[in-house]
Amino acid sequence: MSLLLHLAAQNPGELQKGLSSIGAGIAYGAAAIGPGIGIGYVVGSAITAMARQPEMQGPVRTTMFLGIAFTEALALFGFVLFFLAKG
Amino acid sequence: MGFLLLAAENTTNVTAKNPIIPQGKEIFWGAISFVIVLALLWKFAFPAIKKALEDREQRIRNDLERAEEARREAEASLEEYRHQLAEARAEAGRIIEEARQAADQVRKDLIARAEADAAEVRARSREDIRLATERAMSELQERLADLSIELAEKVVERNLDRDTQMALIESYINQVSSAS
Amino acid sequence: MLGAFTFPPIDELFVWKDVLFKGTPFALNKTGILVLASSAILVFLFIKGSRKMQLVPRGLQNIVEMSYEFVDRGITKDIMGPAAGGWTPFLGTLFFFILFLNIWEIIPGIQFPPTSRMAIPFYLALQSYVIMLAVGFKNQGFRYVTHHIFPPGVPKALYILVTPIEIVSVFLVRPFSLAVRLLANMMAGHILLTAMALLTAYALTNAPPIAIGPFLLGIAVTGFEVLVAVLQAYIFTLLTAVFVAEGMEPLEHH
Repeated sequence: MSLLLHLAAQNPGELQKGLSSIGAGIAYGAAAIGPGIGIGYVVGSAITAMARQPEMQGPVRTTMFLGIAFTEALALFGFVLFFLAKG
Repeated sequence: MGFLLLAAENTTNVTAKNPIIPQGKEIFWGAISFVIVLALLWKFAFPAIKKALEDREQRIRNDLERAEEARREAEASLEEYRHQLAEARAEAGRIIEEARQAADQVRKDLIARAEADAAEVRARSREDIRLATERAMSELQERLADLSIELAEKVVERNLDRDTQMALIESYINQVSSAS
Repeated sequence: MLGAFTFPPIDELFVWKDVLFKGTPFALNKTGILVLASSAILVFLFIKGSRKMQLVPRGLQNIVEMSYEFVDRGITKDIMGPAAGGWTPFLGTLFFFILFLNIWEIIPGIQFPPTSRMAIPFYLALQSYVIMLAVGFKNQGFRYVTHHIFPPGVPKALYILVTPIEIVSVFLVRPFSLAVRLLANMMAGHILLTAMALLTAYALTNAPPIAIGPFLLGIAVTGFEVLVAVLQAYIFTLLTAVFVAEGMEPLEHH
């Protein structure tokens, strides 16, 4: 810890860069949790639907892709945030 | 949204290397390529493909319809042939039946005639036999009388006594009558 | 041992030197060259495959016809309705343009998808967004916007909450996520493949037997990236079709 403070005193720019990189990583990781769970739900339900009614496979698959796409948007925010926060 | 604005401000002076920020020159080439590809394909490729697919669909539909029609026609003519065949068969049966009846008739006639002929022949034969018998009988009686006379002459020649003569005649007559 | 391994900054993987027209706004770099090349290949294949159409398709014509039917049935008519066949040229071009750009990612010797540069997804998403708005306004007038930001059947008081969400989700998140989805998937794939290749090279020089691990993993990732390339092209086209289809039906008055 003292070493960190020592480095910070010597080169404040480098410390800021390192910390923002850590922050960016955490931000993307956190942003990926929700969509991950959500996409799991979407695909799971779609598989249940397809198994129950195989004749509806086409429409269900299309709707599944749409659901994934909308759920994914939050993870994409995180992706952009990563590059913005990394600086 | 604040982040985006911040980033947009940053890129102008800090770096254009951030991969999130699009570069003008690449947008230019990308856009021009897409528009040219779209125009060329829209004009030259897609109408031809669409037309070919529709032609084929039409062709297949026509072929199927024609095949269906041909099948229906074939079924109709088959039905007709079957009908004709049944008619012909009935006709043939009728003709055979008639022929059989005619033949039967002919056979019966022939038999009847043959029987009649046979009866006639038999009747005639019987008549002949009867006549012949009668003739034979009468001939026999004549011969008998002759023989009797002859015999009598012979007896007379020998001078038979009366008793012997009578007995001889008697026995002879008996003999003849029992033989007749 | 791996402690000495340094991964190059991500920016370095995606920024290329200009080759032609240096210094002008139209400078041509690797991205631009690949875009032009794949466009030329795409146009060549489709036009060659659609010349002299035979009743019984063979070879290239077969592929071209199957491609057309895939877009026509699977995307256009499935999403926009059976009468929307006129959109197939646009959606088909969109799908195959993106697919041909994505597939550079796994072509040996090139292995760089131009779609992992923001410029291409940005342009394509913007184009889809403009078309979506244009179709919406043409068929529904200004009610296209009001229908979206004041959804019918919601209690008036809830508009305070719903309207900002709808504005953001329909008019901002849609084009944004369309562009970033394609970018993020292709960029991630490229980084993954680069990482595997660099790890293999590093292991070969320092501890050769270990190199088999990242090498095999790299092959597996390459196979996976084929799937991603097709899927992302499909999803981009599918979403464009969905967004445009929303504005196609005239609205009934409530």
